[in-house]
Amino acid sequence: MMNPALIRFKTEIANFYRISLINLVFAALAIAYGISYIITAVLGSPLGLQAVLLRLVTGAAALACFGLGLSWLLSTLRIFEGVETIRDALSASGEEVSEERLTCLIVRMLAHYRDNRDTIRTMILVSTAGGCVFFVLSITSGIRALSLTANSGSATFESLVLLPSMLLTLGIALVSLISSYYFSRFAGLWDRRLHEIGESECTLKKTLERDEA
Amino acid sequence: MSGRRTVYEIYWEILVYCKTPRSFTAIINRCDLNSKTGQEYIAFLAAKGYLSLVTEEEKARYLSTPAAAEYIALFSSLYQKLFDTGPGFRL
Repeated sequence: MMNPALIRFKTEIANFYRISLINLVFAALAIAYGISYIITAVLGSPLGLQAVLLRLVTGAAALACFGLGLSWLLSTLRIFEGVETIRDALSASGEEVSEERLTCLIVRMLAHYRDNRDTIRTMILVSTAGGCVFFVLSITSGIRALSLTANSGSATFESLVLLPSMLLTLGIALVSLISSYYFSRFAGLWDRRLHEIGESECTLKKTLERDEA
Repeated sequence: MSGRRTVYEIYWEILVYCKTPRSFTAIINRCDLNSKTGQEYIAFLAAKGYLSLVTEEEKARYLSTPAAAEYIALFSSLYQKLFDTGPGFRL
């Protein structure tokens, strides 16, 4: 029978790997969308004061998205690489992982978490902020699509093109907020484990510093 | 192994690695330690009777003693217990 600790460790690493991978993809999308919105905001044809103001808001939000996306991508990359190494080591060990090997991988994951604890905290903030900014961006796109439809009296090609882009931006916003939630849960769990290790250090110290009688 | 580790994690790593005789250089390379801190850790473990010095082909090697098994087992059980209690990370 497989060690329950091994099953749980494997599941957690696999889940965290998936979350990190999704984050990487959406961070890259966030950068691409940031750039595309900046270009649209700068090069779009002037349509009056209201449209210019809307374009200014969109441009500023897009610039923020680009910066947050870049920061999101770089942070995720660091976390992802470490988790991928541990996941690969687990896969290479096969189904039968010795107690020693499992403990070694747990220690590696703990060391990786300690090294990246601050980065994960930053990622939680960046993902939340990114989610909010992308949400604003999707709303402004929706308003633009609606105003184009209202001006022309029917759905034009441009307003129809804006719709999928608005939905994708909304998707990025949702993924960003969801990943921030999962990263918070992950950080909470591993913080608790670090705390438990701190408590068990006393037992380890007693065993290690035994008096040779 | 590299990264931020506690002293107890480093002791465990040295003791597990030295289940077969290892040279000082091999230990510090494997455990990612500099020679000064490596010397300190090894000296502590040797002083407490967890590591013994053996000679193989006229070279000095460190070997974990039977006393180290108790620490290694306790360490493994404490670290694996982290995954026995409380809620796990699920999607």
